[in-house]
Amino acid sequence: MTPTVTPASTDVSPDTPAFNRSRQAREAEVMLDHLVDDFSENPVAMQYFYDLFRKVYIQGEQVQRTTGPQVGMTCIQAPEELIYAVGATPIRLCNGSYHYDQIGADFMPAKSCSLVKATLGRLHDQEKGVPRIGKLDMIVNPSTCDQKKKAGVMMEDMGYPVHDLEFPNVKESEASRVYWQRSVRDFAVRLQQLTGKKITRKKLNAAMARTRRAQIAFRALHNLRRKAPSLVLGKDIFLVTNAYFFDDLERWTVATEALVEELKQRDADGFNAAQKKAPRILFTGSPPIFPNLKLPLLIEEAGGVVVADETCSANRMLYDMPVVDEWMVNHMIDSLADHYLKPCTCPIFTRNDDRRRRLIDLARDFNADGVVYQAFSGCQVYEMEQRSVAKTLNDVGIPMLYIETDYSPDDMGQLTTRIEAFLESIKARKRQARAKGVSA
Amino acid sequence: MAAMSEFGGQPTSRIRRAVNNVDLQSFRFWFQLTAFVLFVYGGYLAIDLGNNLPMFSCGYNREGRAGVCYLLPLQHQLARPWEQLFSAAGIAVLTGFGLFFLWFIVLNKGWCGFMCPLGTLQDWLTSLRKRTGIRYSLYGEKPFNALSWVKFVLLALMILIPLGIGGGWFSHDMGVPFCQICPGRVVLPLFTGDTTQLTVDFSSIGGMVLTGLGMFITGMFLIGSFIKKRFFCFFCPMSALHYLVAKPALLKLKKDGETCTKCGNCFNVCDMEIRAIADDIVKKDAMTDDCTLCLKCVAACPEPGTLKVEFARFNIFESTEEGFLKRMNKGAGCDAHCDTRKH
Repeated sequence: MTPTVTPASTDVSPDTPAFNRSRQAREAEVMLDHLVDDFSENPVAMQYFYDLFRKVYIQGEQVQRTTGPQVGMTCIQAPEELIYAVGATPIRLCNGSYHYDQIGADFMPAKSCSLVKATLGRLHDQEKGVPRIGKLDMIVNPSTCDQKKKAGVMMEDMGYPVHDLEFPNVKESEASRVYWQRSVRDFAVRLQQLTGKKITRKKLNAAMARTRRAQIAFRALHNLRRKAPSLVLGKDIFLVTNAYFFDDLERWTVATEALVEELKQRDADGFNAAQKKAPRILFTGSPPIFPNLKLPLLIEEAGGVVVADETCSANRMLYDMPVVDEWMVNHMIDSLADHYLKPCTCPIFTRNDDRRRRLIDLARDFNADGVVYQAFSGCQVYEMEQRSVAKTLNDVGIPMLYIETDYSPDDMGQLTTRIEAFLESIKARKRQARAKGVSA
Repeated sequence: MAAMSEFGGQPTSRIRRAVNNVDLQSFRFWFQLTAFVLFVYGGYLAIDLGNNLPMFSCGYNREGRAGVCYLLPLQHQLARPWEQLFSAAGIAVLTGFGLFFLWFIVLNKGWCGFMCPLGTLQDWLTSLRKRTGIRYSLYGEKPFNALSWVKFVLLALMILIPLGIGGGWFSHDMGVPFCQICPGRVVLPLFTGDTTQLTVDFSSIGGMVLTGLGMFITGMFLIGSFIKKRFFCFFCPMSALHYLVAKPALLKLKKDGETCTKCGNCFNVCDMEIRAIADDIVKKDAMTDDCTLCLKCVAACPEPGTLKVEFARFNIFESTEEGFLKRMNKGAGCDAHCDTRKH
């Protein structure tokens, strides 16, 4: 930590402590130190991301991004390609800080989701909120879960211009698809008004090429996690995808591509990033967002390895890719709309067949030994889906650990015990299976 | 675990990888062009593939045709007097159908997506529209569901009317009823300079009604397929006939529902607006009654092996991440500068 690269430290006055001594920064620093220092042999390419989080979350530096209007998103279901196409830059506002969670608690009822509270808490801090990107010109708030829906008006009351992006809560019907396509087109119009630039075929094509390159990098990373032994730990992948929330798109892509190259080299060298026989864990449920990487961290500190995830802060955000049949603006926008609705496995939808199928597919494909399901206390939709998901996984013989938690660090001790017991039981199952296999 | 390709999934040989990376759009364009030239002009080279072809190689294109659409002889045969039809002549009907079936099972509905001159013509009209920058129209879900029986009714009429003629109920003016209303009869001979079909037959009332309807349908065909991809195929009785006998066909479109993320890409690109290709995760055989086996869905699927084309159970083309990305970048016009990943 050198003071010269900390703009925040230049405006230190006697009565305001330096940013890096704030509660937000302390919390981030403790987490980042664990993520980095508790593990040996972190990939060299991860240094970019460690530095990024250190600068942004601990030193409170402004994120270096392209200028132009800044559009905040409260959910990944807003088509970011449209935002890029009008010359604006998106930032995902979903926040993982316990400090902000406590500030945001003033806005929401006692039993509500940490993520929504933290997002409100961060926005309450206006331009000082971390990650710092300067003034937000607009917030797009997809009408997904109830808590996010109601948070939109609170953001408006804080002085932000909010666009409610109408999102259907049923996704199977053609009516919902058409409704959503219309809603996305309205969003495109609103964006054009914001920047005064028209979405042309060329601009949208260029925007889609940029996000496609990022998705390709993510997919390559995702595919490399199939390998056994594991080439990389899940805590690092969550940092990478969390960086996508706010980082410059090209810089992020280049850094991720570098990580992919390094992992390929690791593969060629027969490297093992986890312990031998480390239980392979599929992570699902409420999204881990830095600094709340508590659960992935605990899993991997206890000797497991998170090999894949089904969360909106990682896989669901970057995995699926749109297709375009005819490269004309209207069709491209409709294709994007489909892409942001059809494969989505968010629990706000009426049915969750797709989510359950996706979990089984990921578990098989990535050879996962067990699933860890995180539900933030107060996130009713994830809490309500727990039963059906547990049953589905149980039916195919995949053990699942359900953890209801929030951003508070208080339960870490208790969680460690539960996770260790879960990993132990997986190891015991595998030993038994091997013994049976030998005797048979 | 065996060595996996860079994009994950199964180990791949070089040939297999090249096939799965195929630029389907241009492959289909050249394949269809070749087939079009063969079936519309092959007759000049004395090519004759018989009278039982399972697609619209129109028999009215007398000079250029390289074979005849099975619907023409079928309607002729069925219009024979019943005493003939239900005795020796019945054998001719059965052998005719047998030959049609043998042609058909090789390619299944691939005849529609790759061979049929009338299908190709519609694809060309689509290309023309794309060049003009006009957006396509869709039936939408409700009309789609409401109209999917039409082709079966046309097929039934196409069989019943000739039988009725043979039974003496209808006049011979109504012979080959489907051909008389088929746009292929009017349009395809034009390609060899034969304009004789571009008329309404006023010699009889039945003929006048049917050929008049034929002219109207031809107009609809040209306008319809300009604004709606594969407009006519949705009503095609040949397509209905195909579907009824498709079970033992060798070329198959297979779907692995377990790995499907239901992203809807396949449905998005489907010329025929077949929702089931995306939504049905149970059926392994993904070909529906409206499918033309154009294989665009396979090319648009980013999930390894979720959609597959098999010939006699041998996998010949399947969806891969790499192939999907190659085609997307190509379509976006940026295969050179968009994709910076190093191979």
